Amino acid sequence: MSTADNIGTLPAASQHIATGPSRPRRWLSRLGSGLLRFVLLTLAGLVLAGIVHIVTVLRVPTLASGDAATVYAALGMNGRAELVTPPPAGLPAMLDTDPNSVTAVCSYDLAAGPLRVVARTGSLPLGLTVHRRGGGVAYAITDRAAIRGVLEFVVMTQEQLDERLANDEEGETSRELRVISPSLQGLVVARVMVRRSFDRSEAEALATDIACGLAD
Amino acid sequence: MRVLPLAYVIALGAGLGLVSARYAVAERPWFGRAQIGAWTTWPNGGARDIDPYMRAYLARGVHLPLGAGEGLELIAKTDDAGQALDARCRYLVSGTTPPARGWSLDVADLAGRSLQSTVERASFTDAEIVRGERGGMRIVLATAPEAGNWLPLPAGGRFQLRLRLYDTPISSHAGELRPSALPRIARINCR
Repeated sequence: MSTADNIGTLPAASQHIATGPSRPRRWLSRLGSGLLRFVLLTLAGLVLAGIVHIVTVLRVPTLASGDAATVYAALGMNGRAELVTPPPAGLPAMLDTDPNSVTAVCSYDLAAGPLRVVARTGSLPLGLTVHRRGGGVAYAITDRAAIRGVLEFVVMTQEQLDERLANDEEGETSRELRVISPSLQGLVVARVMVRRSFDRSEAEALATDIACGLAD
Repeated sequence: MRVLPLAYVIALGAGLGLVSARYAVAERPWFGRAQIGAWTTWPNGGARDIDPYMRAYLARGVHLPLGAGEGLELIAKTDDAGQALDARCRYLVSGTTPPARGWSLDVADLAGRSLQSTVERASFTDAEIVRGERGGMRIVLATAPEAGNWLPLPAGGRFQLRLRLYDTPISSHAGELRPSALPRIARINCR
């Protein structure tokens, strides 16, 4: 009986001895695989974060509703540039403005056709820039490029330029300065430096004297 | 059981991606900037090949930056020694400016707004300063009035200096400028 008891109890004892050290090992391996899983999931999250980051930064200009071109979209529709320093009533002021400059803008929408911009130069430094919707300068020119005191250029899309080139008389060189706008909407900005405080009224007259209307 | 890991990945990706994007375009970006002594500029900020971060920054507010062929804006938030500009101190801005048709220098708060001063003077242009014998500029920034070219500072707080060069040939290669080509900003003393 005692022999049989010994025989019966041996496997149980040996099993107990075998499972003792394997339990922490199993626990460690479970912890290791859990940690690995967590690290892999975190890496996947970081890759997704990178994609979300890039897409967000690239989408901001197209989704922006508070950029200068959107905010000042109603200005200059009467064919003359309008002052934004100070801004018209109800419109937000420009950020990072130079107190020594006067700025006037002309909004454009090239869906109706190319826009002709004509500026007369004066004694104060004048710069004309084309700002596309969603931020960014598409073109800049100063009054140094004026011919007989007049700066003139036509803003258009790439498609409108192609059409214009096709319609140009063969062998004839167009004297029109053509500027490509990457977006249909945008702003033509006239900035005049106010060299002395008493130049301000002259600068404002110069900036608002910019004509912007349909080219054709 | 698989929903939880997926939710973790999406939450981490969307949260971190959106927050980092917002942080990256909240201020003028680090990418594309050129540091010349105490002055910082973004030469491509007004160019056609503007980087996406700068474009996103400009799109988030009513910004109309100077075009690359129109001029160049330089910003200084520290003096030449690297210490933050503090309105409790007096500073001397001296030296020369790169060739330009005209320049203006103004004092603004850290958000870029011109400082409201009781004195009608928050900026100088090249036509307004009194020059020394060598033709260089010498402008003192201080709270109390100073003889010569004086730009008033507020009673306290940090500020920044903005130098705008109009119709300058250096706009396209501003990153190659040497610090000696730009005005020096030296701290005289502090209260």
